[in-house]
Order: sequence, then C-alpha cells, then structure tokens
Amino acid sequence: MATGDGSEVRPELDRRQARSLVFDALAAAIPSLRIEALDEQQELYGDLGMDSLGFVTLLVELESKLDVPLADEDLMTIELFSVADLVDLVERISPPAAK
Amino acid sequence: MVTVAAARDPQLPTHWFNILHDRPQYVTSAVPRSRLPEEVQCAGRGVQLQQPFSLARQSLNTTDRYIPIPGEVLDLYAQYRPTPLRRAVRLEERLGANARIYYKYEGANLTGSHKLNSALAQAYYYARAGVQHIVTGTAAGQWGTALAYACQVMNLGCTVFMVRATLRQKPIRGDMMRLFGAVVHESPSDLTDVGQRVLKEDPAAIGTQAVANAEALALAGQDGESRFAVGSGENSVLLHQTVIGQEAITQLALLGEFPDCVIACMGAGSNFGGIALPVLGAAEDSGRLIRLVAVESAACPKLTRGRYRYDLSDALGTTPITKVYSLGSSYVPPPVYAGGLRHHSAGPLASAMYADGSLEAMDIDQLTSFRAGLLFCETEGILPAPESAHAVAGMMDVVSRHPRQEPPLVVLVNISGHGLLDLDAYRRFGAGEIEPVTANETNLSQSLSALEEFNQAIAEPVEAT
Repeated sequence: MATGDGSEVRPELDRRQARSLVFDALAAAIPSLRIEALDEQQELYGDLGMDSLGFVTLLVELESKLDVPLADEDLMTIELFSVADLVDLVERISPPAAK
Repeated sequence: MVTVAAARDPQLPTHWFNILHDRPQYVTSAVPRSRLPEEVQCAGRGVQLQQPFSLARQSLNTTDRYIPIPGEVLDLYAQYRPTPLRRAVRLEERLGANARIYYKYEGANLTGSHKLNSALAQAYYYARAGVQHIVTGTAAGQWGTALAYACQVMNLGCTVFMVRATLRQKPIRGDMMRLFGAVVHESPSDLTDVGQRVLKEDPAAIGTQAVANAEALALAGQDGESRFAVGSGENSVLLHQTVIGQEAITQLALLGEFPDCVIACMGAGSNFGGIALPVLGAAEDSGRLIRLVAVESAACPKLTRGRYRYDLSDALGTTPITKVYSLGSSYVPPPVYAGGLRHHSAGPLASAMYADGSLEAMDIDQLTSFRAGLLFCETEGILPAPESAHAVAGMMDVVSRHPRQEPPLVVLVNISGHGLLDLDAYRRFGAGEIEPVTANETNLSQSLSALEEFNQAIAEPVEAT
C-alpha cells in the first residue's frame, strides 16, 4: 500500500494473514515441524516443544517478516501458551494501516 | 541511568566481535521439548523470555561481525579497561622457554575477574527491559560477585545461589556479594523444590553449578519481576567477553607481535572465547595459523573425556537442551578449588569448536595448577585464581613441548582472575595439605551411561516408509 509521502506501509494484518505468518515463522523456528499439522489450539511448550531458544528464534523471524522492531520492554512481560496467543501477539504488533 | 566520568582509552573496543558471522554453523540449536522425557517436560507451561530480546538475539546473530557496545556499558568498561597485557619475561627465564609469553590480566577490576565484562552488559539490558531483579547461580563466586556489583550499578536487585562446596571454601566471596547488595544462598538450599530434592537424597551434598542454576531458575519463575541470568556458555556471554581478545590484538600489534597460540582455562567457555575468538577471526583475516588450547580441570574433563551429546545444562532441564561436550548432568565433580571449572559440560559454541577441530583441550590436575600459579606469582607478581592457574599450567606444558630448533613460540594466555580470595588454598598447597584430585570414576561412568540413555530417549523418531 502506498502512502501520501511515497513510502510503503503494510495494511493491518487480518486474522488469516497473521495465522499464516505465525505458521511460517513456527516452521522456521522449530526444525521438523510440519505446517499442515499446526492449529491455533496447540500449546507452544507442551505440544510444539518450544523452549526459550526457540521462542527467541521465532521472535527474530517475526520481526523480520513484519519489518517492525520488537522492544525489550514489550516482550519481557508476556507469557504465551498457545499458537492462538502468538497470532494475537502478531495482530497487536503488526504495523498499523496508514492513518 | 548511570553517570560515569572516565575517559575512554583508544584501545578500548567499541564493538563486540561476533564469531557467528564468520561461522554461522556455531549457532546453537536445541532438541524440541516435545521429545523430552515426561519428567523433564512441564505440561501447561507457557513460553516467555528469560533474557531481554536484544540480549538473547545476540546469541543468534549471524549478520553482524561487529556488534556495537551500548555507550553506557562502554563508559562502565572505561573504569577498568583496557586491561594490562604484559610479557612474562621472568617466567620465560625461569622456564628456559623457547617462547615469548604474553598474558592478559583480567583480575584488576573491583570484582576480580573477567566476569564483569558480561555482568555489566547483561545488567544493562535487563534494566532497560524493565526487569527489577536478577537471579543467578555461581560456582566459584566470580560471576556472582560481578553480577552483584553490576546489579548495584544498574539499580537492580540480585539473588545468587552459590555452590555449597565453594561458598564454604571461600565464604568471603559471599561477603563480597552481600557488600554489593545481593542476597546469597548456599546451594543446594531448602528454598526450592530442586534444592530440597537434592538435600533429601544427600543432606551433605556439595552442590553443582547445574543445581545452583536450577534453583535460580525456580526462584526467578516465582514472580513476574525477576529473571534468570547466566555467566557463561551462552553465545551472548562469549560475545561480551571478546573485548579481551580485541584489546590483546591491538596491544600485541604495538609490540609487533601476533600470537601463534592462545591458551585459557575452560569452564563453559566465556574467558576462553573472550580471548580466543577475536584472535581466531584476525588470524583467518590474515591467513595465519593459530592454535587455541582450552585447559580444563582433571576433576571435570568435559572436553577430553566427555561426549558430544544433547544434555541438560541445569538440573531441572528448564533451559534449552543443546548439543555439548558433557560428562552428563548427573556428574558431581569432586570439590576442587577451581570451582569455576566444575560445570559438567562446555557451552555449545566451545563444544562445536572442539568438535570441528578448531580448538585443542588438555586437562590439568589441581596440584599442577597450584604449582604453576605460585610460580607465576613469584615471577610476575600476580596470584592467579585457581581457574587461571590451570591456564598457566597448560601454557607451561605447551611451551615445554615447543622444539628448541624452531623459532620462539608466541603465546598469549588469559589470566582471567586474581587468587587473592584463594590465599587459604594456596597456603594449604604450600603446606602439603591438598591431595591430588581426579575425576570421580564411578560417578562419571554412571553419568555417561545416563547421558547415552537420555540421548536415545530423545532421538528423532524414524518415520515408517
């Protein structure tokens, strides 16, 4: 999407786009994970086996895909349980649509 | 946050050197937790960051060869860096060495070791992320002391679990941490489930770094304000320590020198990586050959006798399960004075380097290390920490094997800390009261077997065709 000043701003992600982005990032962060076996109700830790290293890898991946810098203070207080929590996070942190 | 008035010396590096740029194959990978045995898994648990994101991502950065040191950390480094690089001329004479021996001395700062290089950086990132309190485990107490001071500088609370054997050997370490405002607990303690479990099995348990870290993780998980920090092994910690090697390269260049061989002791890899990694990078840039030698304790010979397997780092298995050279997480090394060398495994980066032949390893027994430490003190006027005395002993071994007909070997050794809090140990050595200590063979055999069983249990399932 083009803005008045000529820069490119990505439109706000809808749920389907956010889920797709999260699934791709999860597949990149967790070796041997199959995207087709993912669903939003799965637990990140219990079902997908994500540890703190995997979580950081995932955040680096998301930051790159969203092209938005993630701030330490915003991430330090969150605890995510399910894939749905992660999709919610991506919806929150994705760049807003052009005002 | 902090105001410091110290001029920055031009020799003080402004960036950390990131070996992962040159060797991205060293980026740590871990076993998915879903493959772990049930007793190590925690169903229903969420995922959260223990480290601030900007700190944690340093361990995965393969993009930047040099990572800028935040200005506030640089100002704090300027209080004690650059550290001295000296030639050990009198030691060379005493040894009759066909070598020019240089040493970098990291023991002159307030906390007495290289650990402050990462403690200040970590405390900076935690404070900036809004963390109020840091909890950690420490073996010999050098990391705990450094982190206690760094937390005080950054206005953070600090709690330290220190391995019982070493806290009782040198209680003054605990006093130093308390002086800097930290709360210090002997580990194993009755404050955590894992500590209680260890004490129930053996009320006289001497403790290990793995248990101390597990207790720190457990306490950090009890409230939202606290986080766990670690003083070695992590790639980011090795990164922070690279100021040592970068300074050494600059200081040696002023003398027209570049080392043929770099030697440091090996706990999990932070002081080794700190001095060796920048030199490795510089050697590869200029097409030079370089020998890197890691010196470990004969009581805990993780590289020379360990196996390259996936293993737990802390006793609870809370931290990522990474591939490391390990003696098995159930190995309890005898209580040597070099408590900083008692961790059962090397860190992932140092392990990967050993696996691909980038570094050599040797183990040194306690008596040989004390003998070398005293000789170093007599000739150079510096009493090395028991850990650093292992590096001195290893260096003496390397130098003694260098052929006389060859050009002199240029050696760089890291004296990672002072031994002024180990005077009693040196006194006891001088009085002949210290026995040789080697690995606990029965425990080692059992622990290695358990390590193999663990790896069989977590092996990737083979899909049916």
